[in-house]
This record gives sequence, C-alpha cells and structure tokens, in this order.
Amino acid sequence: MKLEGEYTFDGPREQVWELVRDPDVLVTALPGAKSLEQVGENEYEGEMNLRVGPVAGVFAGRLVVSNEQPPQSCTLTVEGKGKQGFVDGTGHVNLEELEDNKTLMKYEGDVQVGGKLASVGQRLVDTASKSIIRQGLDTMNKALVARVEARETGEKVDFTPPSESEFAVSVAKDMAGEALSSTTLKWVVGAAIVIILILVLVLINQNGL
Amino acid sequence: MTKKYLGKPITRNEDPQLLTGQALFVDDVDLPDMLHAAFLRSDYAHAHLKSIDISAALEKPGVVAVYTADSMGDDWAPGPPLVSPPPTVKDVVFNSRRQVPLVKDKIRHVGEAIAVVIAENRYIAEDAAEDILVDLEPLEAVVDLEAALKPDCILIHDDLESNLAAQLVQNKGDYQAAREKADLIIKKHFVIERGAAAAMENRGIVADWDVKSQHLTVWDTTQAPIPIRNGLAARYGLSERQVRVIAPFIGGAFGPKMMMFYPEELVIPWAAIKLGRPVKWIEDRRENFYATTQERIQIHEAEIALTSEGRVLGISDQFLHDTGAYDPYGLTIPLNTQSHLLGVYDIPNFTSEIKVVFTNKVISTPVRGAGRPQGVYAIERLLDMAAKELGMDKVEIRKLNFIPPDAFPYEQNYIDQAFAPLIFDSGNYLPAIEKAAELIGYEQFLKVDQPRYRSEGRHVGIGIVAFPETTGVGPYEGARITIEPSGKVSVATGVGTQGQGHFTTFAQIVADQVGVNPRDVNLVTGDTAEFHWGTGTFASRGAVVAANAIHASAKAVRKKILEHASKHLGAPEGELEIEDGQVRVADIPRMSISLGELAELANPLRGAVEPGTEPGLEATAYFGPQYGATAFGVHSMILEVDVETMTVDILRYVVVEDCGTVLNPLILEGQIHGGISMGIGNSYYEKLVYDDNGQLLNASLADYLIPMATEMPYIEIEHQETPSPLNPLGSKGVGEAGAIPVPALFAQALENALSDYDLEIRETPLSPNRLYELLTSKG
Repeated sequence: MKLEGEYTFDGPREQVWELVRDPDVLVTALPGAKSLEQVGENEYEGEMNLRVGPVAGVFAGRLVVSNEQPPQSCTLTVEGKGKQGFVDGTGHVNLEELEDNKTLMKYEGDVQVGGKLASVGQRLVDTASKSIIRQGLDTMNKALVARVEARETGEKVDFTPPSESEFAVSVAKDMAGEALSSTTLKWVVGAAIVIILILVLVLINQNGL
Repeated sequence: MTKKYLGKPITRNEDPQLLTGQALFVDDVDLPDMLHAAFLRSDYAHAHLKSIDISAALEKPGVVAVYTADSMGDDWAPGPPLVSPPPTVKDVVFNSRRQVPLVKDKIRHVGEAIAVVIAENRYIAEDAAEDILVDLEPLEAVVDLEAALKPDCILIHDDLESNLAAQLVQNKGDYQAAREKADLIIKKHFVIERGAAAAMENRGIVADWDVKSQHLTVWDTTQAPIPIRNGLAARYGLSERQVRVIAPFIGGAFGPKMMMFYPEELVIPWAAIKLGRPVKWIEDRRENFYATTQERIQIHEAEIALTSEGRVLGISDQFLHDTGAYDPYGLTIPLNTQSHLLGVYDIPNFTSEIKVVFTNKVISTPVRGAGRPQGVYAIERLLDMAAKELGMDKVEIRKLNFIPPDAFPYEQNYIDQAFAPLIFDSGNYLPAIEKAAELIGYEQFLKVDQPRYRSEGRHVGIGIVAFPETTGVGPYEGARITIEPSGKVSVATGVGTQGQGHFTTFAQIVADQVGVNPRDVNLVTGDTAEFHWGTGTFASRGAVVAANAIHASAKAVRKKILEHASKHLGAPEGELEIEDGQVRVADIPRMSISLGELAELANPLRGAVEPGTEPGLEATAYFGPQYGATAFGVHSMILEVDVETMTVDILRYVVVEDCGTVLNPLILEGQIHGGISMGIGNSYYEKLVYDDNGQLLNASLADYLIPMATEMPYIEIEHQETPSPLNPLGSKGVGEAGAIPVPALFAQALENALSDYDLEIRETPLSPNRLYELLTSKG
C-alpha cells in the first residue's frame, strides 16, 4: 500500500524538525501509542493499540530513523508485529520552508500489512491509515503551536494530546465519511432529521401537549 | 428385471436424519478427556523460519503440549505423493514438492502451519498459539505467474533451478500445417482467476488412540477415508487393521477434502497417539480461506485456426497453471484442462503446452470442475470470437464442428489426467443444442425480444455453450450387500459422502435388484471398519464407479436369493420373482418366502453349509471402468445488465444435460443447481484476491462473495440420455457438470447484452467494478 501526502505546520522548520525527532511528542501523535523508548541513537521501540475495523490488538514496534539531513529530511522505517498480524513500512519525510514561518511536510511511503490485519481488515486499512496519519499530524501541529507560543510568551502553554478514545472516534468518523458519499450522507442526514421530527411529534401527542 | 425405482425422483433417504439434526458430523464427536488443538499459522507468504520459542505458550494454564516440526522427530515428513509421476515422455518436467506437517525451515504461503497447541479447550489453545514467538526472515513473495518464471525470480523451493513445477507438451495432428492452410486465425490471452470451494462445513478431525487396544480411530471430513487410513497406518508404523477412519456426514467438499494429507490430518492423529488422549481440531472460516486448497488460476495464450466456412482446423494453447506453494496433485488439473480444450468438437490438429508454476499462495488442488472450466472457457470463447469475425451464428458454428454421433468412441489421440489415452466413450451433441435453443427460444429472442428490449433501453443478451465432462475414472470401487434376518438390506461402500444423495441413489439400485423398498436399504459410506477397499468420492465418479460396484454386488446377492429360494420353494429360478421383500413363484403367489426368512435359512445354526457355498445372503463386488465416461451438456442463459450499476440479472437459465442413464432426476438436478451456483460465482462474484506480498485480502465471507438465492436464477433442466457403453448401468458423472460451462456462457451473454459497447471478455470472474473498467477503457 502506498501512502503519500502533505501537511502544513504552523511553525518554523527547525521547530518542526525538533518535534519530529522528539519521542515524547511522537508518542502523543500516534493514536493508541502506549510507549516509545529510545533504544539506540536513532532507534525506538514501543507498543501501540491499533484498531482497524474488526481487527484490534497491541502491536509491538520498532522505529528507525535514517538518512537524516536536519532539518530537512529523513527516512523512517517501521516494523510492527502483533497477534493480529504485522505492519512493515518505510517512509520518507521532507520539510520545506514556507512563507509566514510555516513548514510544508511532504511524505511518501510504502506499507505492507499481513495477517488478520490484511485478510479481514483490508477494506478499511487504507482509510484508517490516512485518518491515523492526518490526526497524528494535527496533534503534532497543536503541540507545535503550543511550543511556539511558549517561546514567544516565555510562559509554558498547556498542551493535552487527545485521548485514545477521542482518536478512535475521529478515525471512525473519517471512515464513515468515506463509506458514505457526500450525496448519500445528505440523504442519511435528511432521513435522520425526518425521523427525529416524527418521533418528537409522536412524543408530543402522547404527552397530550 | 424391472426398473421400479431406478430413474425415479425419489426423495432422499438421508434427509429426515439431516433435517432433524440427527446426523453425525465431525464436530459432533465429543469424547471423554478430549483435548483441543489450535494451529499457529504464518502471517507471511514467504520467509525463512529461524527459530520458534514455545516457552510462554507452554506455561499457560490448560496447555498440554505445543509441537513444532522438531518435536515430530522422524515422524516429520512431507505428505505422500497423491498421483503417479508422468510417464517419461520427451521434454517432460515434474518437480514433486509436497506440503509438510509443520514448517521446518521455510514458509511458503500465508496460513501455512508452524506449530500446534494442544490444550484443555479451544479458547486456551488459540490464546496460547498467540504466545508462541517466531523469529523469521521475510523474503520477497512470488505471486505473479509470469514473473515467477523469470530467470532472476526468487526461488520458492531453493533446491530447484526455477519456480517451474511441471511442464508437458501434447500434440495431435500437425497444428502448424493446419495454421498455414487456415483462412482465419484468432489469438487471444485469457485469464482465469482463483476461487475457493467454500463448503458450508469447514474441515475437522478428531483422533482417538486407545492405548489398551492399540487402535487409532480418526473422524475426518475427508472425501477419501480409505487412502487416509492406509497412509496414516504406513506413516505411523501401524497395521491397516489398527486404524479406522470414519468420514461421517460432511457439509460439502467440492474437491479440497480429497485425500491430501493436510498438515492437520498428519499432526492431529500423531498428537493423539503421543498424548494417549483424544484430540479435536475444527477449522474456522478464516483458516479455511488459507489452509484449505483452492483452484483455477491459469493464463492462456490460445489460438484457433479456421476455414472461411467456420470449420475449426486446429487449436493451439500454451498455458500457465498456478499450483501454489506445493504440487501434491501434480498435473491432474492442467491435464484436465487440456482434455477439455477441444470441447465437444472434432478438431484434427492440436498443440498445447502446460507450465505448472510454484507461487507463494495456498496450494491448488481440484475444486468442482478441476481444470475443465478453464479448458471450456478457452475453446468456447475462441468459437464466439471466430463466429463474430466470420459473421456466423454462435449455434451454427458449434453444430458445424460437433463430433458426429457415429464417431464414438472418439479417440482424441492425446493423454488424459491418468496418463491414459483420452477417449470420449459416447455422445450425441446435436439434439442437445437444438433442444436448448428451442427451450430458451433462441431465434425468437434474437429476432424479436432483444430488439424490443433495446428499444426500451434495456441491455439484455443471450448465450449458449456446449461442453464435455470427463467423469467416472478408475481405478475401482467396491460394495458389500447383506440381506438381514429382518428383511432389511445393509450396504457398505468405501466412498465418503458429502451431500451427493448416495443413501438414496445407491438404495434405488439395490432395491430394484433385491426386490425391496429403497427405504429398507441401509447404507454405510466412508467408514473403513465397514468397507476398506476403494479410493473415494471425487472426479464425478460416485454415480459411475461406486454405483456400478453396488449394482454388481446387488446382482450377486439377487443370484444367491434366487438359488436359495429355488431350492426352498421347489421351483426353477426362471419362474421366481422378487417383490416387496418376498420371493414368489410368478404364477402361484401363495408359494412364497420372505427375504428375512431366506436370510435365516442361508445362515443355519445347525447342519452344514454345503461345500462350495457361502453362508448368508451376502455378496461383495467391485467395479473398475476401462476408462472414464464422458458426459456433456448445453447451457443457455438470458442475462440483463444494468449499465448504471453494472449489476446483472439472469432472466432465464436452460440446461440440457446428458450424463447417461438418469439414476434419480431429483438428485441429478440438485447437483446441476449446485454446480451452476459455483459457476455463477466463478463468473461474477468469487475471486480470491492476493496482493503483491502474497497476502490474501478477502479471507472472510464478508469480502469473498458467494452467490446467494438472490443471485440464482430459476433453472429449467431437460434430460437427455446417451448411456455409457463402459458400465452396466450406463451412467456418467454429473457432480461437476453445472460449474464447467458457466464462465464461458456468462461472458458470451454479457457481450451479447452489451453489443453496442464492442466489449470483448477474456477473463473470469468479472465483477461490477471490473465490468465498468472494461466498458470505460473502451472509451
């Protein structure tokens, strides 16, 4: 499976780079990540809870950062293994400076999934991965904004990463959004409103109001 | 002797038992102290296995044992060869590589068994299997057939020079010379994809080793209990008498339950012997997708050479056949394909090369059709394309090329799947296609109905194809029939039963011979303790080989009945008749004796059995055909396509089936219905999708689509009977017939329905998505 995309961070490149290379931030950015420990100069190990459709479980993973060219680019290699299958991937991340102190991240990667994750979760893997990446990056951006503000004001600004359940809810919303096309969605929403109206009317009548 | 029951639509003897939940299936076997097994299977398609750490799994409470390849010691060995190697003809290649009980050093497909956990219950066993740590080094997976044969491709079996499993060329006449004389040559590339057999019941095994009697009993969802018994005895150093294999009621098999010596079939009995406790393993649906064999992927480069009148001069077809990670069934499937590449046509020149290819996928073994649908697809598609090019009608081009009825037995002059000369024993194709065309209203549809549909903006098309089915191959089957003192009849035969209605059809044969009601015939199938000679239920052979063995055995019992009755009643045998369980003198009904009384007289408690005679009214007989009987048929359908959604609706489906003597039309039609359902799946719904890494992406019934009642048309069936001269009943097989022509038929009807799009279909199965792609790529 190929993954590629771009994301604009609201902060300067050096700070984005620091963020990407900070395991404490990465662990908050990965949904369900339980831990991420540095085990070598550029090597991290950790555990992550993953849920893709009907497949859920703990994945033990190893992350290696290589080809580092601070603050511009690096290669990330991920190996994850769990009772529900495996995920192996390599990705390249590139950071470009934009105007207004913003930074454009471009990423592309190739991910292999196997086991139950592939055989049962396949239909959802694509959407789930994109959603996980997007939300991870959103979280990182929030952390970035907090840091930038902290530097500017000299005060510490609180940043609370979203909880695992908040993450799950967002992923589910993304997947539902993809499953229903926008036209269908309108109909579904329309139908739901009609049903609610009818229920309200019925209730009103029953209560004799 | 009259045919009172044979050929009649008698409802099934076994149904009351099945429908009221009284039938024994393997999962119903529940023994005291029974343990449960779960297998750890590979998530990778191709990898070196470096080490396995079972310590955590062993520590889990309730786990009794964890076994790997190393635990099996000298008992570890690949499964036995299931087919004989091909004769050493020129340029033949055959690299036999059989599946292993548990992976020792190299993983070759997703789902391959690495270790087994035996525990107090299945829950514990499955949990503990997840605690096994496997260290492996993933390798690049070989998925694509053409890429697999490239010189730089990674090897699946490291000791071979390439991923070529087998290669064989067959020639008939001189294709090159025919090609030079031809007015029209059409060459096409066809792709037939993989599907699952998807039987309702998954596989299952219960093994019980009785230490005190040193006896092994195995309940197994196998189509061939006798070869399994013989193989287990040989492998584990037991006498065949020490092993009993029972194949009880089985919820469908369709090929993959043939004798395979699946890893589980070797490991579960081994574990039961080692532990001295019964062990049960029941396959779950996901395991079924990647631990039970599959079939069909072939890629054909097919060519047809014709005269301008539409007479076929020759066929050339070079094809690749995907055998998956191992090739226990050798060349059986691709040879079946070759046997059907000339269809039901008299084609003098033929050249065909088979290349069997190893890939990192589940093993390919026969699935209902077993190579035949692929061959029929190629020839029928080529004929359609030739007809279009020549401006001929599709029925006419077929009629013109049929093997004429006086040409039988028709020698094809090349070899079949048993490496014996391929001969079509009998056939009469012209009336079959005329009948089918008449029933569906072929001309009326093209002239009147179709233009009307078009004017209404509807896309409705018609298809009609003919096909042969080689059936009823040897070597032999047998049966023992006994008249009991109760007057009821016991029959035992070696074949297993998986829903074919054996308890009824076989009872009808016996009932006519020994003069009883079929309801009074009790049949036992698939229990080696009851009958232990024979091979099994596959290759559409039950109604030919086993039925004729039962027929022979029933005739022998009839002879004994008449001899005994003649003596007892003091009347010549020629004057006796047997009816309603009574033997009587034809003209003097009061001179009679019941079969039960006669059975008692034949087994006296005092006195002596006369020299040269045997006790009881019992006989055992065998039947082995000289060669297989070839059935045939014509299918026709009218299909509507919704060009907005690409969904299809089969408006009419007509079958003219000729499988020789009809034994029971009700059961015969059921077989055809089931076959067509699988054929429709193979045409538009059922495709196993592997990604580039050898991962099966739709291993669930949510993603792998099996036709449901809503996809099934009402099927109109007409029977034609051209008895086989090769067996006394004149029967031919029909188990696979329904599935064989459907993909070719479906493609023709779809093209016809979408004739304004200039669509040419060269692959199966399609799907709404794929059809949309094909239509839009045309612009």
